[in-house]
Amino acid sequence: MAADEPITAVIVDDHAAIAAGVHFWCSQAVPPIDLIDAGDRLADVWTGPGALADVVIFDLELVPRRPDFGELRRLVDSGRRVIVYSQHTDDATAIKCIDLGALAYLTKREGPDHLVPAIRAGARGEPYTAPSLSGALIADDDPGRPRLSQRETEVLRAWFVSSSKDLVAAKLNITVKTVDTYITRVRVKYANVGRAARTKSELVGRALDDGLITLAELNRTVTSL
Amino acid sequence: MSDTAEEVTRAELRHGLRIATLLVAMAVVFGLGLAQLLRYMDRYETPLTQWIAFAALGAVLAGEATLLGLGRSWGRLRGPAIAIVLGASALSYVTLPDGRTSTGVDWIFGAANWVGIVVLLDRPLRTAAAFLVAHELTALLHLLLLDDPSRADLARFSTGSVTVVGFPLCVAVVAAVMRGLSAAAATSRREIERVRLAEAVAAESHGRRQQRLAELSATTIPLLEGLADGSLRPEDPVVQRRCAIEAARMRRLFAEADDVADPLLHELRHCIDVADRKGVVVELDTRGQWPEPPVAVRRDLTEAVLIVLATTVSRARVTVMGEAGLVSVSVVADCAETGMPSPAAPGVQVEALTNDDMVWMEARWQPTSRSPR
Repeated sequence: MAADEPITAVIVDDHAAIAAGVHFWCSQAVPPIDLIDAGDRLADVWTGPGALADVVIFDLELVPRRPDFGELRRLVDSGRRVIVYSQHTDDATAIKCIDLGALAYLTKREGPDHLVPAIRAGARGEPYTAPSLSGALIADDDPGRPRLSQRETEVLRAWFVSSSKDLVAAKLNITVKTVDTYITRVRVKYANVGRAARTKSELVGRALDDGLITLAELNRTVTSL
Repeated sequence: MSDTAEEVTRAELRHGLRIATLLVAMAVVFGLGLAQLLRYMDRYETPLTQWIAFAALGAVLAGEATLLGLGRSWGRLRGPAIAIVLGASALSYVTLPDGRTSTGVDWIFGAANWVGIVVLLDRPLRTAAAFLVAHELTALLHLLLLDDPSRADLARFSTGSVTVVGFPLCVAVVAAVMRGLSAAAATSRREIERVRLAEAVAAESHGRRQQRLAELSATTIPLLEGLADGSLRPEDPVVQRRCAIEAARMRRLFAEADDVADPLLHELRHCIDVADRKGVVVELDTRGQWPEPPVAVRRDLTEAVLIVLATTVSRARVTVMGEAGLVSVSVVADCAETGMPSPAAPGVQVEALTNDDMVWMEARWQPTSRSPR
């Protein structure tokens, strides 16, 4: 993808109103994002213009109450950058999605303030952590979860509570950039555990290259049982 | 005397009456009845049928003795037992020599009545009376149909009937009176309990209403008085804000009486609802678990939300987080500068942060730091 070309995204969602709403947000974004509407046809994500889109916006429940983790895994395994867009708000589903390799997990209550940044981050292969996912990460008490530092937990907590990075920065006396760094570090730590996926290893590799986290820190994060 | 002691006494009385009746019946059947049977053995046409009738009565008495030992009543066996008694009576009369009704030869006339009463002692009086009448009729039928009764025979039968029906009936009446007393006592005890409960509920709700009034009198009543006498103007934004806060406080106060699984969240929803009605979009999100805070703590935790939402312009985010030893209620909203709540409960702290037009207020409660009650 050349730097001046617009970002393209494909949305697969059985609700026409959702697709139309997301289409509007993408066209209003600066710079605008090209959105391809696949409706409820998963095939359009794999073939035609949808196959070339930078980002896949994926409704986890095309069949009500049957979250399609299998399709999410196939998309991630074929190297697609996936944003899960779900009406589900339970923490276990959110964490499972990012464990499978989704770059972002957003609930449908989270509007353009989070979806548009998530699409831009996804196009760069970077994760985006919305407040709901942030809440899920703090509440995560799985024994296999990575160990977070106190500061990382504070930032996640403040981000979940306030839903504003400016407020988090003001509250903790740090810059917005530092807020982002802490949130990304948490995602890198999560990417380093659990199931292997290309998006996750890219995330870890880039974080190490950028000096966001050191190998020693990463090795220390796995909670010993 | 306590209720249980009364109940035990009554149960003992009933048990004693049952034993006494059984002993009387045994004495009548195995003493008098057997003696008459042996004495007039040569008078019966077929002594075997008399012995069968005697054995049937003996079996019913043995059954009663067994049930008494087990502490049980006749239950479903009661009907068959009565049928056996009446059957034995009929059998005895069919083979009784003519002209011998209610004489010494007619041993069963004064025996079967007692056996029947033993079986029917814990039944209503009319059942026992009906049985005695049935027994009496069996004898009377024998007298009228098979004998040719003289005036003397009828007189003998009548005097005999007085003891045969009268004494067992007396026992049945006593048993019925005792049951009636038990039932009346139980009814009046329930009534007393109901009245006591109603009084306690009335006192409790009166107390709660007075307490609510006292709580409202500090803040709501001066506001209402000010509006009534014109000293406070409804178009004044400060007055409007006070009204919004008082409306939310009243909603919270009413919600406090509800019996719900999570009172903190329940009361918070009521506080949010007031803002919701003004068109403010409020998100409520929660994570983790928390214990049920006491009402004073819940008020302090929800007060920040209530104050901020009173002046929120368009949107707000309310979150509740439960972590180890910490419950935190947080509100972020676009609102004008607000006053700080002053928490009264121990262990509650409130922090506020204003950034541009956004206000972030957080109330935290640490249950472990609370002094033990």
